Amino acid sequence: MAERRKYGKKYCKYTEMKIDFIDYKNTDLLKLSMSERGKIMPRRLTGNSKNAQEMVEKAIKRARHMALVPYIVNTQNVTDAAYVK
Amino acid sequence: MSRIKHYETMFILKPTLTEEETKAQIDLVKATIEKNGGEISSCDDMGTRQLAYEIQKNKRGYYFVIYFKCTTEGILEIERNYRINENIMRFIFIKYESKKEVAAWTKMSEEAAKKAN
Repeated sequence: MAERRKYGKKYCKYTEMKIDFIDYKNTDLLKLSMSERGKIMPRRLTGNSKNAQEMVEKAIKRARHMALVPYIVNTQNVTDAAYVK
Repeated sequence: MSRIKHYETMFILKPTLTEEETKAQIDLVKATIEKNGGEISSCDDMGTRQLAYEIQKNKRGYYFVIYFKCTTEGILEIERNYRINENIMRFIFIKYESKKEVAAWTKMSEEAAKKAN
Protein backbone atom coordinates (compact mmCIF):
# COMPACT_ATOMS: atom_id res chain seq x y z
CA MET A 1 0.00 0.00 0.00
CA ALA A 2 1.34 3.36 -0.97
CA GLU A 3 1.71 5.95 1.72
CA ARG A 4 -1.06 8.50 1.78
CA ARG A 5 -0.16 11.95 0.51
CA LYS A 6 -0.03 14.61 3.18
CA TYR A 7 -0.69 17.62 0.98
CA GLY A 8 -3.85 18.85 -0.68
CA LYS A 9 -4.95 18.13 -4.20
CA LYS A 10 -3.09 19.94 -6.97
CA TYR A 11 -5.09 22.26 -9.19
CA CYS A 12 -4.35 24.61 -12.06
CA LYS A 13 -3.88 28.12 -10.69
CA TYR A 14 -4.42 29.72 -14.09
CA THR A 15 -7.76 28.04 -14.67
CA GLU A 16 -8.77 29.02 -11.15
CA MET A 17 -8.00 32.68 -11.97
CA LYS A 18 -9.83 32.37 -15.32
CA ILE A 19 -6.87 33.56 -17.37
CA ASP A 20 -7.18 32.78 -21.08
CA PHE A 21 -4.01 34.43 -22.29
CA ILE A 22 -0.68 34.68 -20.46
CA ASP A 23 1.35 37.75 -21.33
CA TYR A 24 5.13 37.49 -21.15
CA LYS A 25 5.39 40.97 -19.61
CA ASN A 26 3.38 39.92 -16.55
CA THR A 27 6.23 38.32 -14.59
CA ASP A 28 4.13 37.75 -11.45
CA LEU A 29 2.00 35.23 -13.34
CA LEU A 30 5.04 33.49 -14.79
CA LYS A 31 6.67 33.08 -11.39
CA LEU A 32 3.90 30.72 -10.31
CA SER A 33 5.34 28.09 -12.64
CA MET A 34 9.02 28.75 -12.04
CA SER A 35 11.41 27.25 -9.52
CA GLU A 36 13.62 29.44 -7.33
CA ARG A 37 16.44 28.88 -9.75
CA GLY A 38 14.40 30.13 -12.69
CA LYS A 39 13.56 26.75 -14.21
CA ILE A 40 10.16 25.96 -15.71
CA MET A 41 8.34 23.61 -13.32
CA PRO A 42 6.85 20.46 -14.82
CA ARG A 43 3.13 19.91 -14.93
CA ARG A 44 3.38 16.95 -12.60
CA LEU A 45 4.62 19.25 -9.83
CA THR A 46 2.49 22.35 -10.37
CA GLY A 47 -0.73 20.72 -11.52
CA ASN A 48 -1.18 23.19 -14.39
CA SER A 49 -3.61 22.29 -17.11
CA LYS A 50 -2.14 21.32 -20.48
CA ASN A 51 -3.43 24.48 -22.09
CA ALA A 52 -2.04 26.74 -19.35
CA GLN A 53 1.32 24.94 -19.31
CA GLU A 54 1.78 25.47 -23.04
CA MET A 55 0.99 29.17 -22.74
CA VAL A 56 3.21 29.70 -19.72
CA GLU A 57 6.11 27.87 -21.36
CA LYS A 58 5.98 30.13 -24.37
CA ALA A 59 5.62 33.24 -22.23
CA ILE A 60 8.59 32.31 -20.00
CA LYS A 61 10.79 31.71 -23.02
CA ARG A 62 9.87 35.11 -24.44
CA ALA A 63 10.44 36.82 -21.10
CA ARG A 64 13.85 35.14 -20.80
CA HIS A 65 14.87 36.47 -24.19
CA MET A 66 13.89 40.00 -23.16
CA ALA A 67 15.78 39.74 -19.83
CA LEU A 68 12.60 40.13 -17.78
CA VAL A 69 13.20 36.75 -16.15
CA PRO A 70 16.59 35.03 -15.72
CA TYR A 71 17.63 31.93 -17.67
CA ILE A 72 19.26 30.52 -14.56
CA VAL A 73 19.98 31.89 -11.09
CA ASN A 74 23.40 30.71 -10.01
CA THR A 75 24.85 30.99 -6.51
CA GLN A 76 27.26 33.69 -7.64
CA ASN A 77 24.41 35.97 -8.67
CA VAL A 78 22.49 35.30 -5.47
CA THR A 79 25.38 36.35 -3.26
CA ASP A 80 26.04 39.36 -5.49
CA ALA A 81 22.46 40.59 -5.09
CA ALA A 82 22.62 40.16 -1.32
CA TYR A 83 25.87 42.09 -1.30
CA VAL A 84 24.39 45.08 -3.12
CA LYS A 85 21.58 45.44 -0.60
CA MET B 1 -1.22 40.06 -51.27
CA SER B 2 -0.60 39.91 -47.64
CA ARG B 3 -3.07 40.55 -44.93
CA ILE B 4 -2.74 43.04 -42.13
CA LYS B 5 -2.00 41.36 -38.83
CA HIS B 6 -1.76 42.38 -35.21
CA TYR B 7 1.73 42.68 -33.81
CA GLU B 8 3.51 43.75 -30.70
CA THR B 9 7.14 44.76 -30.49
CA MET B 10 9.35 45.33 -27.49
CA PHE B 11 12.91 46.60 -27.56
CA ILE B 12 15.59 47.43 -25.01
CA LEU B 13 17.64 50.57 -25.51
CA LYS B 14 21.09 51.10 -24.06
CA PRO B 15 21.07 52.75 -20.62
CA THR B 16 24.03 54.95 -21.55
CA LEU B 17 21.89 57.17 -23.81
CA THR B 18 20.71 60.56 -22.59
CA GLU B 19 17.02 61.37 -22.23
CA GLU B 20 16.87 63.23 -25.54
CA GLU B 21 18.67 60.44 -27.35
CA THR B 22 16.25 57.77 -26.10
CA LYS B 23 13.35 59.95 -27.18
CA ALA B 24 14.92 60.38 -30.59
CA GLN B 25 15.44 56.61 -30.88
CA ILE B 26 11.82 55.88 -29.98
CA ASP B 27 10.60 58.42 -32.53
CA LEU B 28 12.88 56.85 -35.13
CA VAL B 29 11.40 53.40 -34.51
CA LYS B 30 7.87 54.78 -34.67
CA ALA B 31 8.71 56.53 -37.93
CA THR B 32 10.09 53.33 -39.48
CA ILE B 33 6.93 51.42 -38.49
CA GLU B 34 4.71 54.06 -40.04
CA LYS B 35 6.86 54.30 -43.14
CA ASN B 36 6.50 50.56 -43.77
CA GLY B 37 2.73 50.58 -43.72
CA GLY B 38 2.29 50.00 -40.02
CA GLU B 39 -0.47 51.53 -37.95
CA ILE B 40 0.48 52.22 -34.32
CA SER B 41 -2.42 51.77 -31.93
CA SER B 42 -0.69 52.41 -28.62
CA CYS B 43 2.67 52.50 -26.82
CA ASP B 44 3.78 51.43 -23.39
CA ASP B 45 6.80 53.15 -21.85
CA MET B 46 8.21 50.85 -19.20
CA GLY B 47 11.23 53.03 -18.45
CA THR B 48 14.63 51.94 -17.18
CA ARG B 49 14.65 48.56 -15.49
CA GLN B 50 17.12 46.15 -14.02
CA LEU B 51 17.92 43.35 -16.48
CA ALA B 52 17.68 39.73 -15.32
CA TYR B 53 21.15 39.13 -16.75
CA GLU B 54 23.82 41.29 -18.35
CA ILE B 55 23.47 42.16 -22.02
CA GLN B 56 26.55 43.63 -23.69
CA LYS B 57 27.91 44.31 -20.19
CA ASN B 58 24.92 46.48 -19.29
CA LYS B 59 22.98 45.79 -16.11
CA ARG B 60 20.06 48.08 -16.88
CA GLY B 61 18.02 48.88 -19.94
CA TYR B 62 15.25 51.12 -21.24
CA TYR B 63 12.17 49.07 -22.19
CA PHE B 64 9.60 50.23 -24.71
CA VAL B 65 6.55 48.40 -26.12
CA ILE B 66 4.57 49.27 -29.26
CA TYR B 67 1.28 47.67 -30.31
CA PHE B 68 0.64 47.99 -34.02
CA LYS B 69 -0.94 46.51 -37.16
CA CYS B 70 1.21 45.78 -40.15
CA THR B 71 1.72 43.58 -43.19
CA THR B 72 4.24 40.73 -43.30
CA GLU B 73 6.59 42.53 -45.68
CA GLY B 74 6.58 45.57 -43.42
CA ILE B 75 7.72 43.47 -40.48
CA LEU B 76 10.76 42.20 -42.38
CA GLU B 77 11.80 45.75 -43.21
CA ILE B 78 11.29 46.96 -39.63
CA GLU B 79 13.34 44.03 -38.32
CA ARG B 80 16.16 44.85 -40.72
CA ASN B 81 16.19 48.43 -39.39
CA TYR B 82 16.31 47.13 -35.81
CA ARG B 83 19.36 45.03 -36.60
CA ILE B 84 21.23 48.00 -38.09
CA ASN B 85 20.50 50.19 -35.07
CA GLU B 86 23.34 49.94 -32.55
CA ASN B 87 21.38 51.45 -29.68
CA ILE B 88 18.88 48.58 -29.57
CA MET B 89 20.27 45.77 -27.43
CA ARG B 90 17.40 43.31 -27.77
CA PHE B 91 14.07 43.19 -29.57
CA ILE B 92 11.13 40.88 -30.06
CA PHE B 93 8.16 40.74 -32.43
CA ILE B 94 5.03 38.89 -31.39
CA LYS B 95 2.21 38.05 -33.77
CA TYR B 96 -1.33 37.80 -32.42
CA GLU B 97 -3.35 35.72 -34.83
CA SER B 98 -6.12 33.60 -33.31
CA LYS B 99 -9.35 35.12 -32.05
CA LYS B 100 -8.32 34.68 -28.41
CA GLU B 101 -4.93 36.27 -28.99
CA VAL B 102 -6.38 39.24 -30.85
CA ALA B 103 -8.77 39.81 -27.95
CA ALA B 104 -5.79 39.81 -25.57
CA TRP B 105 -4.00 42.22 -27.91
CA THR B 106 -6.87 44.73 -27.96
CA LYS B 107 -7.17 44.53 -24.18
CA MET B 108 -3.46 45.11 -23.64
CA SER B 109 -3.23 47.96 -26.13
CA GLU B 110 -6.25 49.68 -24.57
CA GLU B 111 -4.67 49.35 -21.15
CA ALA B 112 -1.43 50.83 -22.47
CA ALA B 113 -3.31 53.73 -24.03
CA LYS B 114 -5.09 54.38 -20.73
CA LYS B 115 -1.78 54.32 -18.87
CA ALA B 116 -0.21 56.81 -21.28
CA ASN B 117 -2.97 59.39 -20.76
